[in-house]
Amino acid sequence: MKRLLMAFVLFASVVLLASGKLTIAVDVEPVGLDPHLVTAFASHRILENVYDGLLRFGENLELLPNLAESYEIPDPYTIVFRIRQNVKFHDGTPLTVEDVIFSFKRILDPETKSPAAAFYQDVDSIEAVDERTVKFKLKKPMASAILPNFAGVNSSIISKKFFESGKNLQLETNGTGPFYLAEYVAGNYIVLKKNPYYFVQGQPVLDEIKFVFMPEELSRVAALKNRDVDMAKISEPLNVRQFSTDKYNVFKSATLSYYLIGINTTRKPFDDPRVRNALNYAINRDAIVKTVAFGEGVVTGPMHPSIKAWALPPEEFEEYKYNPTKAKELLAQAGYPNGFEFSIVTSARYNFDKVAQVIQAQLAQIGVKVNIELVEWGIFIKRWRESDFDAFISMNSGSMEPDIQFYRHFKTGGSTNVFKFSNPRVDELLELGRSTVDTEKRKQIYSELQRLLVKESPVIFLYCANQFFVADKSVEGFKLLPNESLIFLRETYKK
Amino acid sequence: MTLGYVLRRILVSVPTVLLVVLMVFVAIHLVPGTVVDMMLGTQNYLTEEQIRQLYAQYGLDKPLIVQYFAWLKNTVSFNFGVSLRTGKPVLQLILDRLPVTLELAALSMVIALTLGIVFGVVSAVKRNSFVDDIIKVFSLIGISSPAFWIGSIFIVLFSGLFTEFNIFGYVPINRDPLKNLQSMFLPSLTLGLMICAQIVRVTRASMLDVLRQEYIKTAMAKGVSRTALIFKHALKNALIPVVTVSGIQLGYLIGGTIVIENLFALPGLGRLLLQAVNERDYPVVQSIVLFVAIMIVALNILIDFVYTLLDPRVELK
Repeated sequence: MKRLLMAFVLFASVVLLASGKLTIAVDVEPVGLDPHLVTAFASHRILENVYDGLLRFGENLELLPNLAESYEIPDPYTIVFRIRQNVKFHDGTPLTVEDVIFSFKRILDPETKSPAAAFYQDVDSIEAVDERTVKFKLKKPMASAILPNFAGVNSSIISKKFFESGKNLQLETNGTGPFYLAEYVAGNYIVLKKNPYYFVQGQPVLDEIKFVFMPEELSRVAALKNRDVDMAKISEPLNVRQFSTDKYNVFKSATLSYYLIGINTTRKPFDDPRVRNALNYAINRDAIVKTVAFGEGVVTGPMHPSIKAWALPPEEFEEYKYNPTKAKELLAQAGYPNGFEFSIVTSARYNFDKVAQVIQAQLAQIGVKVNIELVEWGIFIKRWRESDFDAFISMNSGSMEPDIQFYRHFKTGGSTNVFKFSNPRVDELLELGRSTVDTEKRKQIYSELQRLLVKESPVIFLYCANQFFVADKSVEGFKLLPNESLIFLRETYKK
Repeated sequence: MTLGYVLRRILVSVPTVLLVVLMVFVAIHLVPGTVVDMMLGTQNYLTEEQIRQLYAQYGLDKPLIVQYFAWLKNTVSFNFGVSLRTGKPVLQLILDRLPVTLELAALSMVIALTLGIVFGVVSAVKRNSFVDDIIKVFSLIGISSPAFWIGSIFIVLFSGLFTEFNIFGYVPINRDPLKNLQSMFLPSLTLGLMICAQIVRVTRASMLDVLRQEYIKTAMAKGVSRTALIFKHALKNALIPVVTVSGIQLGYLIGGTIVIENLFALPGLGRLLLQAVNERDYPVVQSIVLFVAIMIVALNILIDFVYTLLDPRVELK
């Protein structure tokens, strides 16, 4: 037995750390490659390195020009993009204004069934002004609100010629991004190689990135320790602590995604805002961060506290200060002096179940009995979509643009308003926010909205967890963005 | 006569396979949440109309029975459809993944049978000795530990002790056989040990039984050497129950590969199945179940043959 082991050890090869080639272990494999169709984050983090949008996000999630070298908003109904010259697709064909217009027409075509169509439903026309300029005309004065969408993977620019030659974009790619997709072995790995035509001088630095799919966290930890991979996504803070900073670089950032308790505002007793607000007071958010995330996270209000331009800090909300006495008072006012009983639907993903357990214990303190319904993810989604819950625990991807963050969730009848929440003032503020261009005025609008959302509590905002990528010490130049994007792989290198 | 027997067995197996597939078809459709739900998740932006179109595109708007027969009709003509999630042909997906699972299963069985029979025989021959006790404890641990746990221990152990050992990073056998074996070693050892524990027990019991038989005593009296006695006279007869157990274990192996392929990040059929179930990718789930059902039926027929080889008294009729 021992000899057999030794034989294998002898035959083992250690050439993985060859310079210029980075191997990353990730948890989930892409579900498709069409940038206009896929919604899964697992696909986005590959495609954002293969395709480009007109804009992109910078390190602090500021909007930067990308395929558009500049843009302007002459009035709230108009956005004009000036397209960069000398950009080539991976197959060597040059990028033209026609490709840009074709991409957005494809997104908007109902036949495509692109989820991104909803972002651009208020676009009236897209036209070429000249060979380098594209003008978007909007039906509503919401140019500022719509802008961040242009940086998303779902708004990638594809090649008209490539698509029209009959290629299936779910299986084949042709973008303008820093890497091209060289090999995809389903269930095993994806290899991206350096795009020689990439329009940013000196980028990407790496010759090759290999994404290896390892569903189990234990395997990713072991693979990193064993140097089978250079870098790995690690989800559990406790696992991150196994890696000493002498030997490993730990990349860490708070995410925009936030944990929340969603409430069905039409079910008793939650149809009374006082009851919903009582939960706010009864939940000790710091305790959840400590016990579930081992301190690796921040308490959040309706917007992530790091987005200083818009967010009201959580400390500003009276309701977010742990105060069980106040909670009991509110319950008594609403006619539930002895508490009540309700169910929380959740699944075992991302520690949702653990959050539920802590909340169960905390609410017991004010006499509210919580029954946890732990269901499989598919069942969760179905119940979520049908608003078949008293309350649920889940995570939403956040945004640095308040319109994207709030509109679809809290507008009466909004596409993801599963809370069945309806408040005329909230609706009014949401409309006002997206049609105002003056930043100061927008800030006032969204501050009022945030206060109202906390008071009305269709959602109890909990916390944003930190995300981690752990890498070998030789890996540098990488940065993690709060939106969990891996766009900085183009600047990553190995010493 | 044997050919007739095989044909009859295959004919009888057809309804079994169909029943299994029907049950899985009903089960997966009964589970709430469709492929469209999974695609949209909790961040969906689609309108009701767009969602309806998606259902129509995947044929999910038709009654279940219509969907089943449509799938069956296509399958009979070897058209397994395309994966709803990736748009790839299901047959290609399965054929890509099948070799990994077959290799894993074969290697695990080789390890299980080799270790299981050797330990079982030693345990029986050295009955009630210290070695016997050790082997009994070993097989008890093997039977009562989940594969996931044993695999995890191996991973932690190997990633700490043998950093040069390539635990992850599956390499196809035709690309680099040595690296392939290396990446397959721990997964097959994990599964092999699980199955081996059962085989040890059965081999031991069966060997003890045979060793008590009169003909063994006769052989012993005739002065047959101990080695010849054990391996030539006793073992062959003791192997029949072992073959039965191995057959049953092969069925379990399929379940085991799901867990182990996920743990060791092997791109096999088990992992594909789990992914497909999670994403409600119906054509993929149904086709994999069909493949597995056919494989198990085929193995059962094969095992019946092995009986005849081991014991001429067994006749296939």
